[in-house]
Amino acid sequence: MRKKGYRLLAGLLCIGLLSGCGGNAGGNDGKGSGGNSAGTDTQNAQTGDGAAADLSNIYTGELERNVTIRVLENDTAIEQGYFQELIDAFNEAYAEYGIVAVDANMDQYSNLADDGPYGYGPDVLYQANDVLMKYVDGKHIYPIPVQNLECYAQIPDRAWEAYRREIDGTTYYMAVPVNVQTSMLYYRKDLLPENWETEWDDNGNGIPDMVESWSAMYRFSKLRMEEKEGQYGYMRSMYDVYFSSSFLFSYGGYVFGNNNTDPSDLGFSAGDSWMGASVLLQQASLMNEGCIDDTITVNAYSKLADGTYFATMTTPDVYTLFLKELILAYQGQGMSEEEARALAEENLVMTKVPMLPASADLTEENPELIPLKTMGGVNGYGISAYTKAPNACLAFVEFATSYDMIMRRCELLGIAPARSDVASQRGGTSEMIYQSLEEGNVVLMPSITEVDQIWTPAQSFFSDLAKDAFREPGERKYDDPDKLKAGLTQVDTQIYDAIFTLSGN
Amino acid sequence: MKKKKMRTEGVSQMFLHGGKNVRASMCLMGLGQLLYGQIGKGLLYLFVLALAVFYFVQRGFADIAGLITLGTKEADTWLGIEGDNSVIMLLMGILSVIAAICLLVCYLSNVKDAYETQKICERGGKPASFREDLKQFLDKKFYKTVLFLPILGVCVFNILPIIFMIAIAFTNYGGTIVPPKLVDWVGGSNFVKLATLSQFSPTFLKILSWNIIWAVLSTALNYFAGLGLALLLNKDCVKGKALWRAFPVLAYAVPGFITLLGFKFMFSYGGPINQIITGMGQKAVGFLDIDAKWIARLIGLLVNAWISVPSIMLLATGLLSNRDASQMESAKIDGANAFQQFRHITLPFVLFSTTPVLISQFIGNFNNFGIFFFLRGGLYIDGYFLASDTDLLINWLYNLSINNNYYSIGATISLVIFVITSLISLSIYTGSASYREEDTFR
Repeated sequence: MRKKGYRLLAGLLCIGLLSGCGGNAGGNDGKGSGGNSAGTDTQNAQTGDGAAADLSNIYTGELERNVTIRVLENDTAIEQGYFQELIDAFNEAYAEYGIVAVDANMDQYSNLADDGPYGYGPDVLYQANDVLMKYVDGKHIYPIPVQNLECYAQIPDRAWEAYRREIDGTTYYMAVPVNVQTSMLYYRKDLLPENWETEWDDNGNGIPDMVESWSAMYRFSKLRMEEKEGQYGYMRSMYDVYFSSSFLFSYGGYVFGNNNTDPSDLGFSAGDSWMGASVLLQQASLMNEGCIDDTITVNAYSKLADGTYFATMTTPDVYTLFLKELILAYQGQGMSEEEARALAEENLVMTKVPMLPASADLTEENPELIPLKTMGGVNGYGISAYTKAPNACLAFVEFATSYDMIMRRCELLGIAPARSDVASQRGGTSEMIYQSLEEGNVVLMPSITEVDQIWTPAQSFFSDLAKDAFREPGERKYDDPDKLKAGLTQVDTQIYDAIFTLSGN
Repeated sequence: MKKKKMRTEGVSQMFLHGGKNVRASMCLMGLGQLLYGQIGKGLLYLFVLALAVFYFVQRGFADIAGLITLGTKEADTWLGIEGDNSVIMLLMGILSVIAAICLLVCYLSNVKDAYETQKICERGGKPASFREDLKQFLDKKFYKTVLFLPILGVCVFNILPIIFMIAIAFTNYGGTIVPPKLVDWVGGSNFVKLATLSQFSPTFLKILSWNIIWAVLSTALNYFAGLGLALLLNKDCVKGKALWRAFPVLAYAVPGFITLLGFKFMFSYGGPINQIITGMGQKAVGFLDIDAKWIARLIGLLVNAWISVPSIMLLATGLLSNRDASQMESAKIDGANAFQQFRHITLPFVLFSTTPVLISQFIGNFNNFGIFFFLRGGLYIDGYFLASDTDLLINWLYNLSINNNYYSIGATISLVIFVITSLISLSIYTGSASYREEDTFR
């Protein structure tokens, strides 16, 4: 009897299990139809491949209500309190829609391509053009209908260019430019020779020659070295591609061909770029070995403050660090903080970079001068393609790039704005950088993924070049133009290899 | 071999001589147990089967199909097409294969269990109750209970990533082919590429030979320096041993990358060492610059010793306290000098216990990523393909896979490194006294 009962129970359970399978099998049918629909989707995707994406699909024009948008800002904006002001103002303006902007609380260099697809990325990102544009290939950021934004007309075309991309015959703008970053010359006015107005101002324009021309800077550096051992003129770590490549660009070099969009055309050795390398070599000969590695980059703040260096080249965002060191140096000489600050602000000058001799010979008397084309970048706001509230994000971007907010950003962070109205209102450095951009003397970092591959090969070459200035005459690797050209060609080859050798997977 | 043959015979016995209840279990997991009246166990097997069926119908079969195709629909966020994520599909596919293997193991255990119960019944015994079976897991089969969670952890956190990495080596993942683009299987073409690409092979051989020299030298240096320090601080004549031992421990306690960055600064042109050199009127030395091949390698060895010697010293200190003092005394009476005592008593004694540690040190040094990444990263040298003359295989792998996004090539090189280190470690270990005289207590 008991055995029968077990058999019955076993039989019932088997039936149950099998019917469960049947149910599931039905479920499977359902999935099968899903599979069909997926097939239809695939078909749609295939037919849609050639079609341009319609932005009205993304931006319906109707603001999402009661949503929180996570904004990734740069650390300086957060630390200086600008970001808090921005989101407070935005949240107040959009309170009636229940839209709240918050700090995404992520590393400023976090990668949307890694985080976004899994729902962890920010909704709005503030990053440099080379970083933001890396996201375009995988369509990790949405294009923005910039023509409808208030700031559109105020931003020069060269800044928009950094965010322009043509896909399937349609031109898209992937972010809204906020500020321009490029190289500036920092020098100490109080270290100029006493007679500079008579001896070092050939054109009599009231600006010392050494900050107007690299040839005069070379002469002055030599003079300072001869005057006192351990004292230098212009100093800069040469390995840094961001700064050193500017000299190559000025003589016809470039990163990628076809306006920085064709990675198969490498241009570090293009034109007469070797002349730029020759200028760097001449400059290195008047520095110490610190120019080979990052020593000068690290100690430039203190060495400029203690008078060891006369000038250096770096980005405008570190002005406060130089100022702080100079104030401390003056205080060390017995001045009060107020006196020290006033004097430091007067003596520390940040200005546009000097011009180069067309011959690339820094010792030439009265050379023809050409502008130094500095490498630069445009930081801007982009919108994640994984956001659930694209309309609210667009509203945020428009708000953050408005005249008032950009003006406030300039006041608090000292940035060089991409907006012409703010730049002209602010004047000074902001206007100077804006003008350089307009005149084409700022070469924007390429906005394609392959830009990642340029740094190490170029950095290795610049290190080697700087080292050459300290090699014994018989051991020098770059003592004639052909060798310089060969070195630059090697850089192009290495970058090409890094991009293409394995890409045929 | 014999054991394996017996096991195969056992399985065939089950299938050939299994009674109707065993066959019932073969048809449906747990059915045989239910027919024997083992309700709890039968239900448990059925539950496992139901769970597996549910999982496979819900997603398992699709995951296995995904593992084969690695996706058919490319995502397009602008058009609102979600698409397939090949990398996730690969991962989930591997998980589903693991689930299928687990199900097969459960199935075989269910048949085996039914067969064992049949044999008990044939001998006139009674099938074990569920409670009796459970008790076994606290008694005879306690090792299974204890090992269950660790094995699960090892499967999820060790084996799965390793299988994933191996699988990546057979795909074209990397470069421009990263999600949302669809990844595809490419067979062994990455291995072929590694062996045949004209730029690749010379660099691979150069880096491999330096890597082997590095691993041997750094392991030997760390080991003997650690042992020497331990012996020195073990001497009765040394005063304040605890204090002296604390210094290396302090070096050990500082995070490795901070130590490395500190050393990088010390050896830089602006660092204190060059300050002293230039202060003495000499020319600054480029310890780590582009021309500093062998100097940089030597500095790498010494800095690595600074980081690793303390751990060996601590280990050796513990082992030396177990040395047989009478043996040393006898050797001394027999006229053995200090070196002979070390060579014939201390070294074999320490080596016997520390061979596995030595092997792990060797593998650790072979794959020591941090040393040259922090000391001399960011350089490509002429004659090397996207590498410098101090880079180890692991650094080159990083350059290729992370810097240049060639994940599949990176995984391929990882596999090659894995094979090399495994072969070296296994041959050293199987030839060592630790393995050959495993049961000997010293």
